[in-house]
Amino acid sequence: MDLVYTPEQQDFRAEVRAWMDAHVPREPLVTLECREGFDQHVIWERTLASGNWGMVTWPEAYGGRGLDLIQWLIFEEEYFRAGGPNRANQNGIFLLGPTIMEFGTPEQKARFLTPMAKGETMWAQAWSEPGAGSDMAAIGSKAVRDGDHYVISGQKTWSSRAAFADWGFGIFRTEEGSKRHKGLSFILFDLNSPGITRRPIRQLHGDTGFAELFFDEVRVPVENRIAGEGEGWKVAMATAGFERGLMLRSPGRFQATAKRLVELYREHETKASPAAREAVMTAWMQAQAYAYNTYTVAAKIMAGGSIGAEASLNKIFWSELDRAMHRTAMQLLGAAAELRRFDDGRMNQWLEGYIFSLSGPIYAGSNEIQRNITAERLLDLPRVGAG
Amino acid sequence: MEFLLNEDQLALAETIRDYLAGTHGPDVLRRLDAGDNRDPVIWQGLVDMGLTGLLVPEEFGGLGLGLVDATLIARECGRACLAEPLVDTAFVVVPWLLAQGETEQMAAIVAGTAKPSVAHAINPWVSDGEGAALDSIDPLRNLTRQANAASSDPLLLDLGALMSAAQLVGLAEAMLDQSAAYAKIRTQFGQPIGAFQAVKHQLATAAVAIEFAKPVVWRAAQALTDGLSSASVHISHAKVAATDAAIQMAETAIQVHGAMGYTYEVDLHFWMKRSWALAGAWGSRAFHLKRIDDAVIGGGLAIGPAHTFA
Repeated sequence: MDLVYTPEQQDFRAEVRAWMDAHVPREPLVTLECREGFDQHVIWERTLASGNWGMVTWPEAYGGRGLDLIQWLIFEEEYFRAGGPNRANQNGIFLLGPTIMEFGTPEQKARFLTPMAKGETMWAQAWSEPGAGSDMAAIGSKAVRDGDHYVISGQKTWSSRAAFADWGFGIFRTEEGSKRHKGLSFILFDLNSPGITRRPIRQLHGDTGFAELFFDEVRVPVENRIAGEGEGWKVAMATAGFERGLMLRSPGRFQATAKRLVELYREHETKASPAAREAVMTAWMQAQAYAYNTYTVAAKIMAGGSIGAEASLNKIFWSELDRAMHRTAMQLLGAAAELRRFDDGRMNQWLEGYIFSLSGPIYAGSNEIQRNITAERLLDLPRVGAG
Repeated sequence: MEFLLNEDQLALAETIRDYLAGTHGPDVLRRLDAGDNRDPVIWQGLVDMGLTGLLVPEEFGGLGLGLVDATLIARECGRACLAEPLVDTAFVVVPWLLAQGETEQMAAIVAGTAKPSVAHAINPWVSDGEGAALDSIDPLRNLTRQANAASSDPLLLDLGALMSAAQLVGLAEAMLDQSAAYAKIRTQFGQPIGAFQAVKHQLATAAVAIEFAKPVVWRAAQALTDGLSSASVHISHAKVAATDAAIQMAETAIQVHGAMGYTYEVDLHFWMKRSWALAGAWGSRAFHLKRIDDAVIGGGLAIGPAHTFA
């Protein structure tokens, strides 16, 4: 164990800091859950790409920097220190990208990864269906082979970023009559293909971040399938592992929130309760604990290990931490908590963040599912009801 | 920068874990509880493993290892609910004496013939001391009032808190294992109770708390080793995180064990009671929260994404 950064790592931190300080927008962007805000965030993705900061851990051949995970953590720390915007293309960067790198053909890598790194194509995920949420193996949407195409019919829903993105990925039933985890394939599709209807879903904050997708005999080339026909479940589970695991929620994000919460507490100290004070300290402690844990996991992966069911512990921890921090902030804000904009015109980002934090324990596999996984795979308790 | 326990550290901890699992199971705790609480054979075994000299420099016959190694062994002592005063003597008093340049007792400590204990003003009693006996809820604790004056040295407090945190992690892990094992064999409504989500989810929640307490303890040990000025804050963080994990685990464990958990017959109570004892020892949760408060809200500690380790 050596908790001192090398001179190279310190230089790298300084390089990221200088670039971020020069480029991160001074005014917060409009939420990416609306057309205007999404477009602003796409411009930011392209700005990042222009500095070659879009996909820092990707190999250089695909537009990345080939950085190791410690450098990635340093990058993320500096990104959130500078107040960098949310990533419009996180589905591509953190989910699909690693999936294509692991399972894709050389042609697929060249075709999809480089435009992703350049910020040219924005990706949406299309996992859930109306009857297949936590129980993803209940998927019914079909992709029927017709020569060198699949013909897709069915419906996806709660598809993050699908209202405004360019491309989507999901799993579809390619074997007629197959059940549960069998007979599924992982397929990429152009969201502007004929036969796809997007219906943006108005979310509880009033904006339209995710969407329903209706597929009416949509023709998709077979070469858009990742891995073999019928291997979709395996690929999707690997993708979901990335989502729950290391990269989707880097600790810098929560450390930045904890720091802002400490500052908010200081502003409201005279009228704050002792309980709020303790909640603020808990926020700092847990954000730090999450950072330590992530550095440990990063070191394990760099030493050739992998992250398994522990990813579920991770997901439970950060999602409930994020919710608790924003809840505390709402308490500190008191009467002003309900305002979407404060008197001085600033957006109430705590309110926005609180609403967003409520989705954390639901998406990427609800925390109930994560607790089942923890109990069954880490504690070896009996599995019941899972097919 | 590498936040990873190395192979040697993990191998040593595993050796000690196996040794204690083989020689210091629940049956031994029951035998000690029914008898004199201590057994010279157990102590000699720890001496023979070199553990009394773990932190003693090689020139005095010890192994010359560091505080991170000691926290890993303290965790194993917690897991085994070890009653002998190994952690207090070898992992708290030894580094405290060494920091003051006092080496006189080292050879005797390594040999196991001296078991010095030092009380801190925050808890003026020690296990296995010379003074009058105190009645702890932990039946194996052998708590005594300190005969000589208590120290108020902050380093002693930090060492005691750090090693308590490490033991609390091990205690919590043992209670998690016991509870999961019990949930697999106890059946109700025709199935193991561990198949019920209400039981699974409680255990999973406790597992999360334990998982995220561990790296805080190792980080605190490294901070003290590196002599960081913020080491005390990190030790307080470790003590709070480990205490919370252990207390939450203990409450979950007794809930999962149901009425059986409320009996003296089931092993759980030894671990639960040690957790209660160590939760308050070497600075309570409130004491350590206050130190964190002073640093984090008071503003003495740099916080935020660029300050994970500095």
